[in-house]
Amino acid sequence: MNVDLNVKPHPAFEEIFWVTLEDGSRKLGTKNFSPGNSVYGERLIKFEGTEYRLWEPFRSKLAAAILKGLKTVPVCLDQKVLYLGAASGTTPSHISDIVGENGHVYCVEFASRSLRELVNNVVAFRYNMSPILADARLPESYSRMVEQVSTIYCDVAQPEQAKLLADNADMFLAEGGWVMLAIKAQSIDVTKDPAEVIRKETAILESRGFNIKQVVGLEPFDKAHAMVVAQK
Amino acid sequence: MVKATIVESVMGAFGFGEDNILVEKMFFPKDAVETAERLKKIEDGTLIDEISGLIDNLKKKGYTQFVFENQKMAITANKKLNIEVSVEPSSEAGNLFRENLVTIALDSGFVEKPEQLRAHLHKVSMELAKIKVKKVVEKRDMLVAQAVLSVDDLDKSLNLFMGRIREWYGLHFPELDRLLEKHETYSRLVVKLGRKENFTIEKLEQEGLPQNKSKMIAEVAAASMGADIIEDDLAQIQYMCSHVLELYSLRQNLENYVEAVMDEVAPNTKAVAGSLLGGRLIALAGGLMNLAKLPASTMQILGAEKALFRSLKTKARPPKHGIIFQHPLIHDGKRWQRGKIARALAGKITIAARVDAFKGEYAADDLKADLEKRVQEITERYPNPPPTPAPTKREFKGKQKNRRQNRRNKRGPKR
Repeated sequence: MNVDLNVKPHPAFEEIFWVTLEDGSRKLGTKNFSPGNSVYGERLIKFEGTEYRLWEPFRSKLAAAILKGLKTVPVCLDQKVLYLGAASGTTPSHISDIVGENGHVYCVEFASRSLRELVNNVVAFRYNMSPILADARLPESYSRMVEQVSTIYCDVAQPEQAKLLADNADMFLAEGGWVMLAIKAQSIDVTKDPAEVIRKETAILESRGFNIKQVVGLEPFDKAHAMVVAQK
Repeated sequence: MVKATIVESVMGAFGFGEDNILVEKMFFPKDAVETAERLKKIEDGTLIDEISGLIDNLKKKGYTQFVFENQKMAITANKKLNIEVSVEPSSEAGNLFRENLVTIALDSGFVEKPEQLRAHLHKVSMELAKIKVKKVVEKRDMLVAQAVLSVDDLDKSLNLFMGRIREWYGLHFPELDRLLEKHETYSRLVVKLGRKENFTIEKLEQEGLPQNKSKMIAEVAAASMGADIIEDDLAQIQYMCSHVLELYSLRQNLENYVEAVMDEVAPNTKAVAGSLLGGRLIALAGGLMNLAKLPASTMQILGAEKALFRSLKTKARPPKHGIIFQHPLIHDGKRWQRGKIARALAGKITIAARVDAFKGEYAADDLKADLEKRVQEITERYPNPPPTPAPTKREFKGKQKNRRQNRRNKRGPKR
């Protein structure tokens, strides 16, 4: 099947696009904030004068969650986002695409090795991002670098994910702000059933005053992972 | 008692009064590098001029109690300036400040447009990240880790190449494979002597082989059933061998380097674990500091994660030792004593790593003496293997062969 390349805005989410490729397959994409640069080897698509980056669900849990039927994506144009566990910047780069030049993505990462990649390959080309080498468990250690944000995205491989997210929210999240928590059940407790771990973590969020809006499993893109969306 | 909250930011230090109203501020220079350096100092709990100046000004205005968001800073301020402090990680004033960051920046005249603040933030955070990454890498422990991993890579490649060479030269002189265990000697002889006709007693002895060995090899060479080989073919084999020999000298070089750097970076760990094993542990933990923070039980099974998680999942028996198996005390120990020795050794390596990371003095002699005493005790108390339990169905039988292979690889190269 040969179809013409085509890019359409996602019906529900601002600044997220459906890209129809030549072979008829449909992929997620975002507008490239730094045209010409691909962050993790994703394909760049030119359509009607704008460059788009394909968003790979097997690499980015946010893309996987969107494909798995996320109802709200609390990231949109002009927003400030705190990203905990930015690693080498796969998902943060797409969030940077979405929030655009008036938004800002604060990327907290603990491993200096990953942060080096993040700084050199991603942040250097995107002035709406800030790299922060710090331990996400200690929000006061980077409070100087971060302003109040409307969304916190948390994807850290820590046993205390939910608590850490709530601590950060106390310090940085605006009233009525949103949080997204990517739960990796295996890194919280390998011996327990993933469903149970996810229940436990969401319960912690609820006890800290969050209103759980949706929990999506990320199979088949990631095993034993779930994305939780909640509002304060 | 009048309370003021100190909030630091990329712009400078700000002081808020009782009702969270901004009363005093001190800007940093607008240069990103200088700002990043100041922020780094604040993070480390060093008092900088901007903050002490701010506090002085606040004192003049009658403020006597100071709230910080960061504990380290509070402690230093308390000691150096002799003021009353308290710590509130997400203070009201701080939250308010972060909520109105852009407005404050504009109102206070730090920038004229919001975009300028964005750009400044981006630049400062880049600089700060660079400073911090550099700091982490500056310690030489990660260099040792890379060197040790290179040694391991070399070992893997060398085994691979030597397998090929033995097969290749074996077409000409197949019997030599069984007679010479050591790879290095094998390839040296191929380079120096070439054809099997040259493997005479005199020449072999000249190459430093013991007399009886030389005699045996020479006899076998004379009666070999290998095919003849022309000069061209032999030259290629020799060429390959000479490069393998170079890799061996590279390996030796790296080993010496690791030895030397470990002496500087982690002398105690080196003394207890040995330089290569110590380096491997540092590599696995991701740095000396991380290694020092591990509990002894983790140290014991570092490198056996797969077996550990399998045991957690399936209730199979947990691994007794990870990479520390390479330590002569364990792999030369009796099978039933190894678990106990591993526990003792892991404990001592843990102490050694902590001394290296936090104190830096040499204390390994005591550690080694204690360890030897404990090993002595173990060997005396458990001289015989425990009675074998009634045979039960063993799990993962299908993978048995594979597991043994893995363990063999971990033990290092055949010499």
